[in-house]
Amino acid sequence: MAKQKITSSSTAEYFSKNLQQVGFSSPTKAVLTTLKEAVDNSLDACEDHEILPEIDVVIEKIGTGTLKNTDLIRIKISDNGPGLDAEEVTKVFGEYLASSKFGRGRCSRGQQGIGISAATTWAQLTSAKGATVITKTKGMRQAVSARVEVDIKNNKGLLKDKKSITWDRPHGVSVEFEIDGRIQLQGEGGLLTYLNGTALVNPHLNLTYKLLDQPKQKILRVTDKGPDIPEATEPHPHTMKLGEFIAFSHLFGRVTLKVWLKKAFSRITDNTIQEFIKNGLPKKYVDESIDKLSELQFKEVFGAIHKTELMAPSTRSVMIIGEEAFSKSVRRLGEVDFFSVVTRKPTICDFKPVAVEVAIARLKNLVRDGSEGNDPPVQVLRFANRVPLQFDKSACAMVKAIETVNWRAYGLQQPKDSLPNGPYVIALSLVSPFIKFKNASKETVDASDELVEEIRRTLIQAGQRLSRHIRKETKANDLEEKLRHIEQFCPILVDCLCRITKAPAARKKKANEGLVKLLGRDINLAKKQLEEAEVHAEKAKKSGKLQVVKKDEDETKEEAPVELEAETPDVEIKEKKAKPAPKKKTEKKQIEKVD
Amino acid sequence: MRDETIPEMSKDLCSRLLTDLENAKRPVMEAVKCSLDNSNYNPKVGYLTPGDKMVRTELNVSSVQKMSRAIFLLEIFLRNLETGAVNTKRELYYIAKGEVKHNPALKPLDFLDQTESDSVIDFICEMLECYREELNCFANDRGGQTYSNQLVVTETLPDGGKAVVDLSSLGTTPFQPKNRPQSLKLKAKKKIDFCLVVESEGTANTFVSNGFCKRNNCILMGAQGVPSNAVRGWCKLIQDELDVPIYFFGDLDAYTMQNIFRTLKAGSAASLIRNSDFSAPEVRFLGVLPEDIKKYDLNDYPVKETDVGEARALKKAADALKNDPFFKDKKNKGLSEILHWLLKNKRRCEQQAFFTVDPRDPTMPEKIIIEKIKRKNYI
Repeated sequence: MAKQKITSSSTAEYFSKNLQQVGFSSPTKAVLTTLKEAVDNSLDACEDHEILPEIDVVIEKIGTGTLKNTDLIRIKISDNGPGLDAEEVTKVFGEYLASSKFGRGRCSRGQQGIGISAATTWAQLTSAKGATVITKTKGMRQAVSARVEVDIKNNKGLLKDKKSITWDRPHGVSVEFEIDGRIQLQGEGGLLTYLNGTALVNPHLNLTYKLLDQPKQKILRVTDKGPDIPEATEPHPHTMKLGEFIAFSHLFGRVTLKVWLKKAFSRITDNTIQEFIKNGLPKKYVDESIDKLSELQFKEVFGAIHKTELMAPSTRSVMIIGEEAFSKSVRRLGEVDFFSVVTRKPTICDFKPVAVEVAIARLKNLVRDGSEGNDPPVQVLRFANRVPLQFDKSACAMVKAIETVNWRAYGLQQPKDSLPNGPYVIALSLVSPFIKFKNASKETVDASDELVEEIRRTLIQAGQRLSRHIRKETKANDLEEKLRHIEQFCPILVDCLCRITKAPAARKKKANEGLVKLLGRDINLAKKQLEEAEVHAEKAKKSGKLQVVKKDEDETKEEAPVELEAETPDVEIKEKKAKPAPKKKTEKKQIEKVD
Repeated sequence: MRDETIPEMSKDLCSRLLTDLENAKRPVMEAVKCSLDNSNYNPKVGYLTPGDKMVRTELNVSSVQKMSRAIFLLEIFLRNLETGAVNTKRELYYIAKGEVKHNPALKPLDFLDQTESDSVIDFICEMLECYREELNCFANDRGGQTYSNQLVVTETLPDGGKAVVDLSSLGTTPFQPKNRPQSLKLKAKKKIDFCLVVESEGTANTFVSNGFCKRNNCILMGAQGVPSNAVRGWCKLIQDELDVPIYFFGDLDAYTMQNIFRTLKAGSAASLIRNSDFSAPEVRFLGVLPEDIKKYDLNDYPVKETDVGEARALKKAADALKNDPFFKDKKNKGLSEILHWLLKNKRRCEQQAFFTVDPRDPTMPEKIIIEKIKRKNYI
């Protein structure tokens, strides 16, 4: 048998053959993933440079795709971010694993630097065009326009047709892909679900989008304050494996073990190094340069560290939306009846810092008037590091946590071990610098017991707040039901009794009066219970734990942040940006209206 | 025997309720609690009797619907009793619907399905402590097909006339007992040695066709599963009027022991108020007994615990040993030991397994049964 030649391939080659692993498993997902990767990058870039993001999305069909049953789709995403230098463009859009965020311990949306390069590869494979990028930084006089392609053999980005152009903005990036795909607007994997979800967890975002032939839509920001970007933290030694630990040391060159441990890891001090020595770290290694340590010696160091109890990692690196901003953003979901929002203090789950935020809202358009039968299950919106997760719902830690809560206790219907039913939206946001996804396309969060429990606690808090309002409603329905019962059954009961006993009309009249008197006492009791429930709900509202949207607030719908507009040119954004003051005013108005 | 008739009791009850209403006092309806936790078993009496627990329904906004429905159906029953009309539960459901249809004011009383009207009928019976047959509400006469060459039945007809049925003249056609055993009188033309109640209707027919009744002076009856009121009342009548030993021949499994045999012998918790007339405490369990499996090398097989019905029966058997006063009483130790055996071994054996003993002799099961009776091999 002839000996087969062993060849090695580049990262780009691997991903170009396995694009399904990073979200390009179907034509529909290809469009969504391309959009998602570009928007994530824009938002991350804006946040890093403390710029309030303005993102413009255009998605249109421009022909028939080369693959079976696909259309040729143009996807264009423009932002007002810091922009990229021409050299950076090839790295960002054309090279795999080239990232400014990898292993930084930050809660950024992107982490490894795979997604957007994969989108370029998909465009290149299906339409043979790559990505068309326009970029301008503050320092550039003119913007640069170029086409980026991936040199798949060498995992390098190639810049083609580079030229300088005049652009209508001081800085930013615009990227355009032409890909084979199919457009799905509604439903769990729909583009609209993604865009609305992104707006929900990014209250500081101004998002304009035009999808197919639909009119251009604009979702205005509800806060002018961007999220507080926490400091990145060093990795915790207990979260590392031996190989990882040794490889990590190579990044630091010639420093002593002591300096390396203190500088490169969190929770290690002189005292903890003394503890390591007590637990078997040979003292002589401490002042040894790490590039001289053998693998065996690293193993001894690693063993001693793992034998020592260390403080849990810091939770300071976790970024949250915050209850106030989340409350404002929830209103953008649609006609919200009432809602509750809970932001839990960051905590440690599976030795990683994590923060969970929940918003539960009842949507008026989902309420079914007097219809019989069960409501459909609640709508669940999942977010990981403020990115909507839209696939493989059932295996996700967030859905598992929702199913473990007893929602019946809060007045919602719930089949056993399932999602609750009703006209509600449960938006769950999980933020952590180290989210454990089940797959490379980041669609499902791994359901560890500790994480599920933390999410569950947050849900319980939100459910308790919500139940105060639901209880009030139940009591009101109860009262109505009781009044209806009296009207319906009293005359029948007395009539039947009088017929059987052949009682005269006088007895009938007296019995009717007695009956009304008796049941009136029950009504008074029900009224009292309703009043008590109202007081509880009012208390909850005053403490800000429950928010009820009043009717007069609905009437100001035209001022609500979601607007429908006729198609407008790009200048529109400029105008809005030029007049920031009125926007602020609108926001202030909205805050006043929220109870 | 109660002193008052049903119509008198009903009118008294309604009058009391009306007086309470006139005085703006909450009227209360009380009914016997028909459940296992209110069941007593006295071995001298031999059947389950009600304890002291009562279900009280006081008029309030929540119970006004139940009370109105009860009085509404009671009025229909009283009308039936007056005219002599009889109905099944299903017919009463439609009669109630018809009343609502013709009088829109009654619309709030409308029953959505028969289970709703059935539960109100049961409530009325428990309240008046009577059988539904006493309210002229009869179930379909199911099971109890009886064969005998010695038995003569005299039935008092609703018009006062008498009908005499000599079972020996019916050939292989069975006699079907009625739901109201009080209207039947029994006489034996010749001494009857025993009465055999067979769980399977089909096996009872086979026995008759093979000449069981020709060779034995007996009464042979098919129970057809869980005994209906007709079968229960009929067995009680045979026990009381003919004074013959009664044997039950059925499967060896938890369901037969608790749901079929116990109901036949001591009544059920759901029918506490009528067990006195619908149970035959003298009936004996002839088999299949656990020892028969070994003795006759019968084909038994394991209980499928994955089967919902079988698993439920086993769980119920375990509960019965803890809570059922019938199985807890030492008089029925033999029967509770069978339940213990079933729970321990998780095996079952069907009555038809007797046919495996000699597959070429169709009368072999009969021979084994007669041998068992002679040797007093029963519980």
